[in-house]
Amino acid sequence: MDYFSAFAISGSGMSVEKLRLDVTALNLANVNSTRGGAGTLYQPLTVVSTAKSGAFAAALAGAGNAALGAKVYEVRPSPMPVRLVYEPSHPDADGKGFVAYPGINSVNEMVTLIAATRAYEANVAALNAAKVMALKTLEIGGN
Amino acid sequence: MSVDPVGFLPAVRDIVSGQAPEASAQAGPIDFAGWMAREIGSVNEKIVNSDQLLQRLATGQVDNLHQVMIGLEEAKLSFQLLVQVRNKLLEAYQDIMRMQV
Amino acid sequence: MSGTDQVTMALVIKALDAAALRHQAIAGNIANANSVGYRPLRVSFEEQLGFARQALARGERALTLADLSSVQPTLRQEPASQVGEPAVMVDLEMVRLAQNTLQYQALLKGLNHRISIISAAINEGRR
Repeated sequence: MDYFSAFAISGSGMSVEKLRLDVTALNLANVNSTRGGAGTLYQPLTVVSTAKSGAFAAALAGAGNAALGAKVYEVRPSPMPVRLVYEPSHPDADGKGFVAYPGINSVNEMVTLIAATRAYEANVAALNAAKVMALKTLEIGGN
Repeated sequence: MSVDPVGFLPAVRDIVSGQAPEASAQAGPIDFAGWMAREIGSVNEKIVNSDQLLQRLATGQVDNLHQVMIGLEEAKLSFQLLVQVRNKLLEAYQDIMRMQV
Repeated sequence: MSGTDQVTMALVIKALDAAALRHQAIAGNIANANSVGYRPLRVSFEEQLGFARQALARGERALTLADLSSVQPTLRQEPASQVGEPAVMVDLEMVRLAQNTLQYQALLKGLNHRISIISAAINEGRR
């Protein structure tokens, strides 16, 4: 069995989910950040992943199945409306006394976190299954 | 509830009824060649059956995996037993041939 | 080796190929669990053996190598899912993974059994 491409597929899935996890953790860490890196407000990010381009056609053409994995298409800022809270005593309050917080919905982020974790564990299970199958293949003829 | 006496074993039945146990063995002349042929035939049947079970497994129409595994193991063990019986027979034959007349 | 023997070995080897390809498809589906616009992959192999299954169910040993030559495990893509529905259901893929792994290992065991019967004949029972 072509365990090399099986490992590559599961590995690509794991790296995608790991990135999604990191980005979600970054969003959650910045829930209450009123100031971003360049002085502007922090923009929450989303990871968009797709299948590797031309994967199915390549696999049909027999060019190997390593292209069946996932890759990160882009990490883009999510268009959530900014959260305005009335705090006139805050140093970052604008003229009307409102402080702008990043539009991060903690519930959504937690759901994404759980989904990414579950997908990561599923990829690990697929990798272990491939490893077990390859090891058993080595035992052909061993009585 | 009553407990039946242990009488279902033929040997025990013979002893209880007072008959000689050798009577059952002398049903007729022992046909060794025929018995051997029958056993080889049954081992062959088992191997062919295991072939069929394996084909069923490969085409994905297996309801219980344990039947397939048991059938495979039975075929393998029967064949190994047959090979050992053949070895013993050959050894016995060679022993006899080695005897000085 | 008799004719039945060769057909069985060829069939088991093809089934092993199918199971290996199926693992790649399942691993690809799991890796793309959260991908947008993804179409899940399936492997078609057992369906191509419809006539063989019928022959086996009737108890005939009607399979020949020529019958098997046209059977090939192939990748298929499912149609794109509706908007809002997840393309890949990870739990179902995990079930398929477990089933496929078991099938692969069972086929390997069967292969080993056939090989050990022949090697017992060759070695005359000596290990």
